[in-house]
Amino acid sequence: MFNNLIFIILFMLGLYTLIMKKNLIKMVIGLNLMEAAVFLWVIAFSDTGGRISIHKLAETNFNFNDPVPQALTLTGIVIGASTAALLLTLIIELNKFTGTIDRDQIEGLND
Amino acid sequence: MTGLLKKILIIVVLLFTTLALYLNFILMPEYQGLKTGVSNYIIQSALRDTGSLNLITAVLYDYRAFDSLGESTVIFGAVSGIVLILSRKMLPVSSKGLSFIVKRTLGIITPFIGLFGLYVISHGHLSPGGGFQGGVILAAISIIFSIVYGSAFDYRRYSPQKKTILETGGALTFLTIGLAGLFFEGAFLHNLNFLTAEPGTLLSAGSIPYINIGVGFKVGAGLAIIFYSMIQKTFEEDY
Repeated sequence: MFNNLIFIILFMLGLYTLIMKKNLIKMVIGLNLMEAAVFLWVIAFSDTGGRISIHKLAETNFNFNDPVPQALTLTGIVIGASTAALLLTLIIELNKFTGTIDRDQIEGLND
Repeated sequence: MTGLLKKILIIVVLLFTTLALYLNFILMPEYQGLKTGVSNYIIQSALRDTGSLNLITAVLYDYRAFDSLGESTVIFGAVSGIVLILSRKMLPVSSKGLSFIVKRTLGIITPFIGLFGLYVISHGHLSPGGGFQGGVILAAISIIFSIVYGSAFDYRRYSPQKKTILETGGALTFLTIGLAGLFFEGAFLHNLNFLTAEPGTLLSAGSIPYINIGVGFKVGAGLAIIFYSMIQKTFEEDY
């Protein structure tokens, strides 16, 4: 329940930032906030009270947390970092051509 | 006035989305993954199948190694795009670096950061960590060189050509191990069973440590290239 509440708050904060802010870098921050909310929720949802999913030698206690969502989240984090870097690069190049990173002042996008 | 109206409209829409999400979460059952499906199989038999103590590494580089190959391809694509967009010339644009005290202190700390990165990479199948995490730690060394000692120092020590060789070498290591799995075991990226040693030792778990090393150098070099490309353009006006 608590996990879901935190997820909703973080996700909506990210979506609000993405829609309302006019600065392109702030929009990227909002996108990353939504990503972080999803990762946090996946990890917290798959927590069943077990221990960290690494075997200890000579111990046959199999009360692990689920390793599959954690591996998926690791994949997601890497993809998120790549897309964030690419977006920031595009913003740098856009700033060089138009002289602004304000969404409304870029010519050609605002009719 | 239209701006205020737009803001109110958007907030109302967001509130409705929040309500929809909340109602969805009320209906959602408890987590079922451990009792059924693939998670139970992995927890019960991953150590027997792969020899890797770390189950997450076993999932990443054995059961879903093809997915990790695609993941490193995404990093390769991002690095290629960034370099294509940002660096038309490969000349270093130097910043002056920070003060003498910072330079001396980081000079003492930096080798240990590199050692820690190599430890995280090479013990990915025994303890928390792995190729991606250790690669990010290795990329921190290049970032420290650029910020603290100036980007000309970073260019002399680890030139972009060297980083490109490291990144391509890491990707080729991954692909070579995949093709070796195709030859010796009959499936692409199959774990190489003849390399398996006793679980818990450093060179156990078949081909997982070697894939870890390749991915680690690939990720580290890729992130260093991204950082170097970005600062190269942004510092150009200042110096």
